[in-house]
Amino acid sequence: MLLVLSGCDSNEALSLSKKSIVYCSEGAPDSFNPQTVSSGTTIDATANHLYNRLIEFNPTDNAIIPAIAKSWHVTRDGKMLTFYLRKGIKFHQTAYFTPTRNLNADDVLFSFNRMLDVTHEYHAISGGKYPFFQNAQLVDLIDSIEKINDHTIRFQLSHSDSSFLANIGGNSAVILSKEYANKLVELNAMQEIDILPIGTGPFKFKQYSSGAFIRYEPHAGYWRGKSGLKQLVFDITPRDTGRLTKLLAGECDVIAYPIAHEKIKQHPNLTVESVTSFNVGYFGFNTSKPPFNDPLVRKALSYAINKQAILETVYTGQAEIANGLIPNSSWAYDESITSQEYSIAKAKKLLIEAGYGAGFAMDLWAMPVQRAYNPDAVTMAKLIQADLHKIGVEVEIVSDYEWSTFLRKISEGEHQSVLLGWSGDHPDPDNFFSTLLSCASAITGSNRTFWCNKEFDKLLQSALQTNNINSRKLYYSKALKLINEEVPLIPIAHSKRYQARAKNINGTILRSIGGIDFNGVTKN
Amino acid sequence: MGLQKTDMLIFTLRRFNLFFFTMLLLTILSFSLSFLFPGEQLINLTGQIDASPEQLAFLAEEYQQQSGLLSQYFSYISHLFHGEMGYSMTSHLPIMTEILNRLPATIELTCVALLVAMFFGIPIGFCAAIYHRKVPDNLILAIAMIGYSIPVFWLGILAILVFSIQLGWLPSAGQISLLFEIPHVTGLQLIDILLSDSPYKWQAFQDATRHLILPVIVVALAPATIFMRLARSAMLEVLDTHYIKAAKTKGLTFSQIIYRHAMRNAFIKVIRDVGLQFANLITIAMVTEVIFSWPGIGRWLIESIYQRDYTAIQGGLIVLSTFIFLVHIIIDFVYAALNPLARERNHGT
Amino acid sequence: MARDKIYQEEEFPTPLVQLWHNFKQPPVVMIGFCCFLFLIVLAVLANIITPYSSVENHLDHLLLPPAWSDDGNVSFLLGTDNLGRDMLSRLIQGTSLTFGLSIIVVIASLAIGVVIGSLSALTSGIKSSVLNHFLDVILSIPSLLLAIIIVAILGPGLENTLWAIIMVLIPQFVHITRNAVKEEFAKDYVLASRLDGASSIRILRYSIFPNIIEKLISQATLAQSAAILDIAALGFLGLGAPIPMPEWGAMLANGVDLFYIAPWTVYLPGLAILFSVIATNLVGEGMRHALKVRKEN
Repeated sequence: MLLVLSGCDSNEALSLSKKSIVYCSEGAPDSFNPQTVSSGTTIDATANHLYNRLIEFNPTDNAIIPAIAKSWHVTRDGKMLTFYLRKGIKFHQTAYFTPTRNLNADDVLFSFNRMLDVTHEYHAISGGKYPFFQNAQLVDLIDSIEKINDHTIRFQLSHSDSSFLANIGGNSAVILSKEYANKLVELNAMQEIDILPIGTGPFKFKQYSSGAFIRYEPHAGYWRGKSGLKQLVFDITPRDTGRLTKLLAGECDVIAYPIAHEKIKQHPNLTVESVTSFNVGYFGFNTSKPPFNDPLVRKALSYAINKQAILETVYTGQAEIANGLIPNSSWAYDESITSQEYSIAKAKKLLIEAGYGAGFAMDLWAMPVQRAYNPDAVTMAKLIQADLHKIGVEVEIVSDYEWSTFLRKISEGEHQSVLLGWSGDHPDPDNFFSTLLSCASAITGSNRTFWCNKEFDKLLQSALQTNNINSRKLYYSKALKLINEEVPLIPIAHSKRYQARAKNINGTILRSIGGIDFNGVTKN
Repeated sequence: MGLQKTDMLIFTLRRFNLFFFTMLLLTILSFSLSFLFPGEQLINLTGQIDASPEQLAFLAEEYQQQSGLLSQYFSYISHLFHGEMGYSMTSHLPIMTEILNRLPATIELTCVALLVAMFFGIPIGFCAAIYHRKVPDNLILAIAMIGYSIPVFWLGILAILVFSIQLGWLPSAGQISLLFEIPHVTGLQLIDILLSDSPYKWQAFQDATRHLILPVIVVALAPATIFMRLARSAMLEVLDTHYIKAAKTKGLTFSQIIYRHAMRNAFIKVIRDVGLQFANLITIAMVTEVIFSWPGIGRWLIESIYQRDYTAIQGGLIVLSTFIFLVHIIIDFVYAALNPLARERNHGT
Repeated sequence: MARDKIYQEEEFPTPLVQLWHNFKQPPVVMIGFCCFLFLIVLAVLANIITPYSSVENHLDHLLLPPAWSDDGNVSFLLGTDNLGRDMLSRLIQGTSLTFGLSIIVVIASLAIGVVIGSLSALTSGIKSSVLNHFLDVILSIPSLLLAIIIVAILGPGLENTLWAIIMVLIPQFVHITRNAVKEEFAKDYVLASRLDGASSIRILRYSIFPNIIEKLISQATLAQSAAILDIAALGFLGLGAPIPMPEWGAMLANGVDLFYIAPWTVYLPGLAILFSVIATNLVGEGMRHALKVRKEN
C-alpha cells in the first residue's frame, strides 16, 4: 500500500518538476506593473508574462505586429490613430479577483489615462511616476484618447511623432483591467493594483516572496493559447556564481546573465545563447555635484578610461566599444563620431586646465547586478579605479546596496559617478536619447547624470517632429556630437545579452527588445 | 527526594537570575547601539526612515524622547515586550515579522547541526581517549585540528563545488525547491511539510532533507571536532578517577568499565560545555547561511549590514543572543538533570 | 662522584625557557613552529620578495592557471585572476594583511585585556561581579556577530574590522588574566612578598606576571587563529579589506565568482588561510602540551 502510494507520489512530483520551469533571475522586481518602472529586471519579470500591449514586436525582426489591437489605422497627417481591439481576450482569474467580462475599450482607456491624466484616481498610486511615458513625453504628444465603441479606440496626437507606434508597443504600454481597478477602489486597496497584478498575459500571478521568488501559473484562458507549463518560478539569485551553481546543480532550468566564458559554453549539459540587444553600458557623472559640474573634468576622465581593456576583461570580448550612445545596428548611428582616444597625457592636461592638477577623490557606484550592458560592474569599477589612479584621481567603489535601493539612491543623486546602462524598450533611437539625457528624465530620475542641456533637448524635439528619416538622422548626429563634447556620460560598450539553459528546455526565450518571454517554452 | 526538589528550585532560581541579568545587559547594549549607529537615534530605533515630521513627533512622544535616558530605555523595553522592534529600513516590514519568518530556518539548521556534531563528535572523542596515545588517537587529533582550522566559508564553497556541481548529488541553495508550495505554519520546514496537505508531501520532505544535508555538515564540522577534543579529555579524566581504578581492581573488563561507568560520566562532562560551543556554532551558521542562501536570520543580518539597516541589526542581535542564551540554559538544565552534583555546587553565578 | 657545584639547580631556568624545552619536543610542533616563522618572514618581507605588484593588471594574461597546468606560464607561478593579477604576489602580500595583522590585533587586545583583567582581579564585590556577568554576556554573543555590529557602527573597511576584532578578543584575555591572577594571589609566595610589604602593583609586576605569561601566550595563539579566521571571514563577506587589497578572505570572495572557470582562485587563498591557522594552532597546541608536561613534572 505504502509502496503504491509513494510510487504514485513520485510520478506526480515528476510531472510537477517536468512541467515547471525555474528561471534564476538576477534581481527582484520593483513592482508588478511595468508602467511604473524602467528597470530591466522588472520588465523581464512582468511585461511579457502578465500583460499584453495594443501592438507588440515580432521577436525575430522587431517588426510591429498586432496584439490586443487586431488592426489599426493612421491618418495621413499622422495625428490620428484608430485601434480595433480583438474580441474575447480574457483577464486572469486568481484567488484575489474573478473577472466578469472580457477586455474592452474601457480597459485600454483606463491603462493609458492612469499614466497620462494627473487627476486620474490611480495616477498617484505607487508614486505617480511613469518613467517611460514621461521620458518619451507622451503626455504632451497625446491630446486625447477616446472610446469609439466597445472595441475601437482613437488616439489624437498634438503633432505627428515618428516614434509613437514604437512607444505604444514598448514594454510599459501594458493594458490593465478596469474592472479590477474599480473593485480595488471599492475595497479601498488601490495600491494593490501594482502588487497583486491582473493582466491578460500568458501567466498569472500566484505568489511573491519579497526578494526571494515569484510564482506564476499559466493563464487558462490566454487568447494565444494556454502554456503547457504547470508553474513558472523566478528564483531571485543576485550573485552570478549562485545562478551558475544552481544551473549546474539542476536547481534552475534557465539563468539570466551567465558568465559568458568558453568553459561554460563547452559544458555538455548547457546551452549558452545570446541576442544582440539594443543597449549601452556607460560611466555616468552626476553633473549636479562638483567636480563633475565642470565639463572639462568629465572630458579629462573620458580620455583616461581604457575601454579596450574593459571590453576584454568585463565583456570577455562579447561586445563592441561604444562610440556614441546608440549601437551601430540603429539607423541613427553615425560612423563619423568616434570614441574618445585613450590618452593619459591629454587627460592630465585637461585636469590641470580644470584646476584639478593634484587630482581628487570621488566615489563610483557600481551596479550590484549583472545586466547585458554591464555583466560585471564591480570588475569594471576596479579597472576604472586603476585607470583613474594613473591621473591622480582616487576612486572609492560603492556596490553593496541591493539593486532597488541602489537605483533609488542614485535617482536621488547620492552618487558622484555611476556605472549603469540602458536596454532599449523599442528600436527607436529616441528611446536612448530622451530616456538617458533629456531634462524631463532628469526629473523622473532615469537621467542619472542630472545633465539638462536646452540645446540638446531642442535637437531631440526637432527629431521627433519629422517623419523624414534623413533629417531625423541629422538631428541625432548633432546630439551625439554634443554628448561627446559635454560628456555627461562616457558610453563604454554595446553588448550582447546572454542566457544559459539546461539542454532539455526548448523554445526561444530571449528577445532583443523587451527582455525575456517564456510563452511557448517547453521542457522535456 | 525533598532535598532534591529544593536543589532544583534553587538551581532554577539561579538560572532565572542569570537570564534576567543577561537580558538586562543585552537590552542596554542594543539600546545604546541606536545612539552609536550613524544617523538619528530615533530613526535607528524605529526604522521609520520615510516618516513625516508629524509621525516623528508622535514617535518621539511614544519613545519618551523628551524624558531622561532611563525612561527612554524603559519605553524601549516596554516596546520590546510588546514585540515591537520597529520597522526594517529596507523592506519596511516590522522587524518582528522579518525575524519570525527567518528564525525558524536558523533554529532548524543550528539544532540539527548541533545534534549531528554531538552524535559524531562525542563517540569519536571517546574512541580517541580509549586508544590514548595510539594511532587512532593521533589520527583523530590530526583530523580534529584540520577540522577546526578550516575556514567555514571555504569549506562551504568546496562542498558545493564537489557535491552540487561536480557530482550533482545535492542542491546548493535554499531550504526546499521553489516548486513545492508549503504554507508557513511553524516555520520549521520539515514540520511544515508534514503538516501541509500538499499532494507532493513526501517528495517535498525528501527534497527538504536533501537541501539540509550540505549546510548541516558544513556547520557541524568544526563543533564536532571540538566535541571530539572535549569528549576525549573528559574520558581521559574519568578514566583517571578513583572509582574507575576501583572498578578495574574489581576485575571488570575494560569494555565493561567503559560502557557501564565511564561513558555516562564523561558524557555528562561534555554536555556541560555544549552550551558554550553554541555561540561558536551560530557564528559558523551565519556564514554558512550566506553561502547556501539559507533563508535564516544570519544571512538576513549580514544583508542588513550591507543595506545599513540599523534597526534590523539591533533586533537581530537581541533575538540571536537570546536564542543562544536560551539554548545555553536548556543545556544547563539537561546537565543538571543528568548530574545531581551540579545542582548543589555554586556553579555559574 | 664529586660535583663542581653543590647547588645543582642554582641556575633554575625561567618559566619561558622551561617552556621552550618542553615545547620543542614533539616534531609536529616544531614543523608548525617553522611554518609560523616562515609566515612571519613572508609577512615582513612581502613587499620585497613578490615578483609583481599585487594590484598590477596583466591584461594579456587573464585567468592564467598555475604553472603546473598545461596552459600555465612559469612567470606566473600560481596563475592569475580575472584582472590578470599575479596570484603568488597577491597571496604573499596577503600574508602581511591577514596573518600579519592578526598578530598585531592579538598583541593589542592582549595588552588591553591584561590591564583590565589585572585591575579587575584586584577589585572584588559588586563591581567585580558586574564585570564578570558583563564578560559572560559578551562572550555568549557570537564573535563574528559582535565584530559585524562593531563594523556597522564604525563603517566597513580594513582598519575598522581590526578594531572590531581587537574589541571582540579583549574579553577572553580579561577573563583569563583575571582568573590566573586570582589563582596566583592565593599562593603562598605572594603572601610572602605581601608580608615583605610589597604593593599589589609590585606583586603583579614582579611575582605574578612571570608566572602567568605562558598561560597568556597560549591563549594568544588561540586568539590568533580566531583572529585570522575573523579577518578572513569579514573580508569574505565584503565588510573588511576594500576591493583591491589582497586580503585572503577578500581574494576568496573574488574567486567565488570565478570558481567554475578558475578554481585555483578559490583553492589557493583558502589553502593559505588553512595553512596559517593550522600553523598557529600547532604552536598553540605545543604550548599547551608543554605547560601540561611541566605541571606534571
